[in-house]
Amino acid sequence: MIRNFRELYSYRGLLLSLVQRELKARYRGSVLGFFWTFLNPTLHMLVYALLFGVFMKNQIPHYAYFMFVGLLPWIWFSTSVSAGASAISDRRDLMTKVRFPAQVLPATVVATNFCNFIFSLPLMVVLGLIFGVVPTWHMVLFPVVVLIQMCFTFAVVYAVSAFNVTFRDLQHIVMNLMTLWFFMTPVLYKLSTIPEEYRRVLQVLNPMSILITSYQAIFYEHRLPDAVPLVSLLGVSIVLLWGATQIFESRREEFAESI
Amino acid sequence: MVQSPTEDAIVIQDVVKNFRKKTIRGEYTTFKSELVRWLRGQRHASQQGRFIESLRGVNLRIPKGQTVAILGRNGSGKSTLLKLITGIYSPTSGSIQVNGRISALLDLGAGFHPDFSGRENILINGIILGMSRAEVRAKMDAIIAFSELGEFIDEPVRTYSSGMYMRLAFSVATHVDPDILIIDEILAVGDEHFSKKSLAKMTEFKRLGKTIVLVTHDMSTVERWCDQAAWLDGGRIRRVGTPAEIAAEYRQAVSLAEARSTVFTPPALTEGGGALPSLPEGVVVRDEPPASPPVAVSRVWLSGPRGEELGLVTTETRAEVCIDYVARESVEDVEFVLTLSTADGVVLYVTSTRTDRVALPAPLPPQGRLRFVLPRLGLLGGSYVLSVELKTGNNANPEPGREARCTFSVSTEHDDRGVFRPEHSWVVEEAPAAPVQAVSVSKHAAAS
Repeated sequence: MIRNFRELYSYRGLLLSLVQRELKARYRGSVLGFFWTFLNPTLHMLVYALLFGVFMKNQIPHYAYFMFVGLLPWIWFSTSVSAGASAISDRRDLMTKVRFPAQVLPATVVATNFCNFIFSLPLMVVLGLIFGVVPTWHMVLFPVVVLIQMCFTFAVVYAVSAFNVTFRDLQHIVMNLMTLWFFMTPVLYKLSTIPEEYRRVLQVLNPMSILITSYQAIFYEHRLPDAVPLVSLLGVSIVLLWGATQIFESRREEFAESI
Repeated sequence: MVQSPTEDAIVIQDVVKNFRKKTIRGEYTTFKSELVRWLRGQRHASQQGRFIESLRGVNLRIPKGQTVAILGRNGSGKSTLLKLITGIYSPTSGSIQVNGRISALLDLGAGFHPDFSGRENILINGIILGMSRAEVRAKMDAIIAFSELGEFIDEPVRTYSSGMYMRLAFSVATHVDPDILIIDEILAVGDEHFSKKSLAKMTEFKRLGKTIVLVTHDMSTVERWCDQAAWLDGGRIRRVGTPAEIAAEYRQAVSLAEARSTVFTPPALTEGGGALPSLPEGVVVRDEPPASPPVAVSRVWLSGPRGEELGLVTTETRAEVCIDYVARESVEDVEFVLTLSTADGVVLYVTSTRTDRVALPAPLPPQGRLRFVLPRLGLLGGSYVLSVELKTGNNANPEPGREARCTFSVSTEHDDRGVFRPEHSWVVEEAPAAPVQAVSVSKHAAAS
């Protein structure tokens, strides 16, 4: 794992250029260009706000803001995983024609979506201010939660991208799984609204629910996130990351041949 | 002379490469097929016949600073070998040792994004090929200048013609500045002007002492460019030798196979490798050129009036070809064969010291120079190759490793076409009959 990340660091120039290009390429040719980075999550949020806030008369105060707090990190995670699944298998041109460090490709996906996440944060703050929610000092813990999510996302994306090279069904499975996962994660609702007996299961089995509730604690409830689940998730993420890089390394030599 | 390992740019030892077959009785590897096979307990059964044997034990040493061609028919494993050297694939067994920074031109324009401008793509492509960002930025202007794209460099790559695309990609690839350059069939890029430029770039690489490994089917390229050729056949190295030797033998083997109406099957799938038939005995077979031949041509060059080396001459110039030779032992009965050909390998003129009855000192002094003087060159514009071969004794075959060559270009102001410009003049006369009669009269006079 250490070796993998040291290599990744040595290819930071490549990673940086690829991330830059991905960011630029995504909206190249469109009239609004880079504004889509802000527009996309906003429109996303408006759809859910209409559905759950207006039609279903959700009782949560400042519902749009509440949902946005969870939605942004969720988008980072879900787009990373679904795009990461085909990160290697779609780049036959790079994998078979030049000596290319394979781990840069999934890392590029995670990093690109991370940048989008960071860019849309001001939007969240502005939305909060509209509702009269001012950020508090609890924000200092935000980078910690982000780091844990980064670890966890890297682990999932590495594993998924490595398996998808030989087992292409995975990218379709992942796509559908992400929808299920989304509704299993308290983004649109509060964790406290689900029955007690399911709540614990959800918390233990779904790392994303720990992360999302932590973001909500920091930005919406203005309290410190629960330490125990967060710290244990950090441990689990590191173990997962170690396992995923191990899988990735062992399969890496086959990539060029299997694509 | 045994070369120490440090003098080799690439050492390939017993390299075997197998690929797993992707289809088993027409079934793709899907979840269902995997599950069925697993349930039947055949997960690891029947490994036999599930592999494609691409390379079956390759041994090859590529010395530093040499240009080595790899020949072989389609599917003989040439590209696989290049990918193994580059590190894209890893060998099933055996080892590959590479000394130096390697750059592979296996495919041009890796990672080009159609929506980005040429400039942006140079940056990303250069980094993918192994340069640092600062390095690419520093070389940016040189790359753009070499590609000759002009203002198009800031247009999206998708608007480029295929020639422009290739030119841009080639420019980036050749500016990587590697120690070892791997080239797969891409020397012919762009129009004539640009392919001349890329050939010049290759010459520069050679001059700088870089190692070049080249795969091509163009035999004239091999004979003109390479110091050595390796013939890959049926997943093994069949012969290593001088380009002329290997090319000739390769051609022979192919025509022999055609004559015997051998069915050309994919070599990697054929039992025993599907190698071409071996040639009958009697053909000179030598694995390596002799380490130090008794006589060798050390240099062939075109000399100017003050003894300077010329690369560019004009049609009307007086030209002197200097042939420097070294004789390590006292050898008698030596013949120097001089061949003038066009850059694409068409032989224009062949002569030798024996044909011209030149009295050479016997035995030859330890070193000396022959000068082949042309009072007027007479060639039209273009690139030409002069090569000099040595023959000793009654051996009719030129000895391997005793050939030297030089290339030169001719520039001309005339608009005439063809290869050479004989000395001539035009005479305009009123009555056409008179000169004809005059000629016939003089002929009669000569006969009588």
